[in-house]
Amino acid sequence: MTRTPILHPAPELLLDYAAGSLREVQALLVASHLAYCPDCRRQVADFEAFGGVLLEEVPAEPVSVGLLDAVMARLSEAPAPPPTPEPAHPIRSLLPGPLRRAVGAEPEALEWVRIVPGIHVSAWALSVGTASACLLRMGPGSRVPAHKHTDCEMLLVLKGGYSDEHGRYAVGDVAAYEPHTPHHAVGDRDGECLCLLVQDQPLVFTGPLGWLLNRGIRF
Amino acid sequence: MLHQADPGDPSSPSREQLLIAVARDRDQEAFRALFRHFAPRIKGYARQLGADDSAAEELVQDVMLTVWQRAETFNPALASAATWVFAIARNRRIDRARQERRPELRADDIAPFDDVPQPDHEVETARAASRLRTVIGELPPEQAEVLRLAYYEDKVHSEISAERGIPLGTVKTRLRLALVRLRRAIGGEA
Repeated sequence: MTRTPILHPAPELLLDYAAGSLREVQALLVASHLAYCPDCRRQVADFEAFGGVLLEEVPAEPVSVGLLDAVMARLSEAPAPPPTPEPAHPIRSLLPGPLRRAVGAEPEALEWVRIVPGIHVSAWALSVGTASACLLRMGPGSRVPAHKHTDCEMLLVLKGGYSDEHGRYAVGDVAAYEPHTPHHAVGDRDGECLCLLVQDQPLVFTGPLGWLLNRGIRF
Repeated sequence: MLHQADPGDPSSPSREQLLIAVARDRDQEAFRALFRHFAPRIKGYARQLGADDSAAEELVQDVMLTVWQRAETFNPALASAATWVFAIARNRRIDRARQERRPELRADDIAPFDDVPQPDHEVETARAASRLRTVIGELPPEQAEVLRLAYYEDKVHSEISAERGIPLGTVKTRLRLALVRLRRAIGGEA
């Protein structure tokens, strides 16, 4: 359980996350990976330090004369909110913090849509622009049907593990698939595998059941 | 008392000390000094990212109020004052301009034994910032540019590649070269 991930998001994703240019869906995957990964946390902290240096060097723009007084007048009216109003989580959540807050429920409390036997996606999804995220569940030894995709796809393992032709992925690992690279994920035999799936474009399944699968995975 | 921060005067308080004074004593004079330093820079940051004058000043107000409210969460062992203010400005801007939420990792999301700052980390943080500043100045221009674009154009690297007609592979190579230098400067392994 204390294994640290060996497969990380690409460095440019960590930079875009720290800089603030990464969009919400991909940022959710990166922030969730950080919960498992001290190395990437350190990298993001370094990129934020770089942001601090840039802030010191940015051409300063004089602010309006009254702006300081306007802010001073609002100091008393703005009571400090309680630091983190998150309820205590005595029970260990299966989901890392950023994902738990986005989903708002534990996986067992979610509705699931069956794609093929053993493979389910959550009815919960986050869609912003062309990107979307949902949870993907593979039963022991289950195979995700062959599909090709037209844009990037990333998976973050949350529980269990799976393999494909590129390697094996365990908790905290991130797998990234470039567009048009078919891959065949198979869940580990010794237990269920749960992942966060992020796509930039809807999947297009190939094969005779393609049209049905496409309906199943897009809502 | 902690008042004007004058970088030329070694006896004047650092911005880290000013933030701590705000957290501990609700020191309004320390807050004014922080405002005088950071407000024009936050405005400059917002303008670089395309905000008009009034949107930029709204962001300044928003960020400085957040600085006042959250000062006690500032930990000088983890970040410099500028880094901490940068993170607030980045998050508030995402909220306001994009109306997206920023998925954030919180301190209580990670196992308590991780990331315990070393006792001398505060000094280390300050040293790393000054080394970073030097290294950024020495980066080849095309490497410095791909780094800055992430911060100032609100574009991810695939968009930068598409818009400038630079192959994504080249953007990534430049970025990785720049990152190696940054890591060395910070003192981590490249």
